[in-house]
Amino acid sequence: MQLQTLPEQPIVTIEPRRSWVELRLEDIWAYRELLYFLTWRDVKVRYKQTALGAAWAVIQPLFMMIIFAFAFGKLVRVPTDGVPAPLFYYVAIMPWTFFSNALASSSNSLIANSNLITKVYFPRMIIPFAAVGSGLLDFGIAFVLLLGLMPYYGMAISWQIVMLPVLIVLTTLLASAFGLCMSALSVIYRDVRHALPFIIQLWMFATPIIYPLSLVPGKWRWLIRFNPLSGLIEGYRASLFGLPFDWIGLSFSAGLTLICFYAFGRVFRHMEKIFADVI
Amino acid sequence: MRPIITIEGLSKQYRIGAYGGSRIRYITLRDSLVKMARAPLERLRGTHQPTTELIWALKDVTFDVMPGEVIGIIGRNGSGKSTLLKILSRITEPTSGRAELFGRVGSLLEVGTGFHPDLTGRENVYLNGAILGMRRREIEEKFDEIVAFAEIEKLLDTPVKHYSSGMYVRLAFAVAAHLNPDILIVDEVLSVGDVSFQRKCLDKMEDVTRSGRTVLIVSHSMATVTQLCENVILLVDGQVAKMGSPREVVEYYTTLCNSPAEGPSLSAVWSGSAPATGKEGVRNE
Repeated sequence: MQLQTLPEQPIVTIEPRRSWVELRLEDIWAYRELLYFLTWRDVKVRYKQTALGAAWAVIQPLFMMIIFAFAFGKLVRVPTDGVPAPLFYYVAIMPWTFFSNALASSSNSLIANSNLITKVYFPRMIIPFAAVGSGLLDFGIAFVLLLGLMPYYGMAISWQIVMLPVLIVLTTLLASAFGLCMSALSVIYRDVRHALPFIIQLWMFATPIIYPLSLVPGKWRWLIRFNPLSGLIEGYRASLFGLPFDWIGLSFSAGLTLICFYAFGRVFRHMEKIFADVI
Repeated sequence: MRPIITIEGLSKQYRIGAYGGSRIRYITLRDSLVKMARAPLERLRGTHQPTTELIWALKDVTFDVMPGEVIGIIGRNGSGKSTLLKILSRITEPTSGRAELFGRVGSLLEVGTGFHPDLTGRENVYLNGAILGMRRREIEEKFDEIVAFAEIEKLLDTPVKHYSSGMYVRLAFAVAAHLNPDILIVDEVLSVGDVSFQRKCLDKMEDVTRSGRTVLIVSHSMATVTQLCENVILLVDGQVAKMGSPREVVEYYTTLCNSPAEGPSLSAVWSGSAPATGKEGVRNE
């Protein structure tokens, strides 16, 4: 028999939790390989047995753009801050498609992976994170079309493009935050499944996607700003079209995003102890 | 020598009987709201009664495991074997009590956890390995060994949904068998595949137990338990009823099972409408 030297302190101590626990994002780091593999699985599986494959990542926002540009650009004639309407819509639809798909799939992720939850231990947050992460690839693919659209409409890229990575990180965090919250709720309340499509639909109209924030009367703008996504979407437009940044709105959105992420993360950690028993 | 696992007074309580029978599965928001609104009213009228029934799936379990020891856990369906393993694997939390583990734990509660039907055999080996807690490097190193063990070289790049069920479990077991933790927790997964593969699994398990690893194994096969384990724990109604050498405990268990007169303590709490077997598929229905 091989001799083992046991550590002085237990590697794992199992006891009931008595209070709220910390976020412990370092646990996620320790399990980063699993996060990678689950993300990779979600990406792989999404386009298995599809004829068009990853082209779907472009088709969705492209057709939404065409419809929006026709309905709101040509028919309703919504002003677009001096930007060609198709571009104006596409730049908002891209992050919105990412956000809404990420939110929908991460909210459903715990239930979809219940077999893992009842059979293996790992930080539970990895599941909704992987669902959000797998959407990032589609987001990237959607950008490729933008590379063609920008020169076509004669738009040049300015220095403001440096803000783009920051915006993408914030959008990812925001989708993760709400994904954590909704997925934890969905374990206990299957109502989430019914409420979510409806929430996402409302959220789209509460975000300056089909209209610019500048169109909202000044006295109502603060209300729109409480939607953390609105500052981000406006940020994408400013960053890609070289429009002036609304730094206050953007900082406010960033702050809200971080607060949501922390708060919903804590809620998730608090609820995760009953996941395996209830799901 | 110090124990590698210490378990003190470990207990787990489950609610049953809520909302008409089985364990709480689907609570809707409406139910919760209605309950919230009603509870204070009923309390005022004095008609409030708890809607749930509590049972102890595990009650005050205490034992130590020495490094390199191979422990078998036996007992009837619903005696708390799976619950114990789930708590030690950190899948679910105990209601009270404490356990300390002085080693890296790998648990194998099911064969093929996380296998995805649309992914190929190769892809599933990586995915399943990562889910079981293997590092990517580790999987790469052992990849050929795993494939050889499963005997599925030809089908490596075929989606596993096209595998026969035998090939499927062979691949799944092969990944799991190459898990290399200090403490291995195994729940009734040895009886997979055809007879010759079962033989192979048992041999593999014997290798594992001889390599000095600490193993906790739940089994319904008295032959397996006698063959592999040094000590056996018998659980009855969530409590340790007997602990000792395999021969002794298995004998005691067999007499218990054969004499229904001693029944009351043995009649599982789960009896009746909702049998709780180790197989999740049954339990969750």
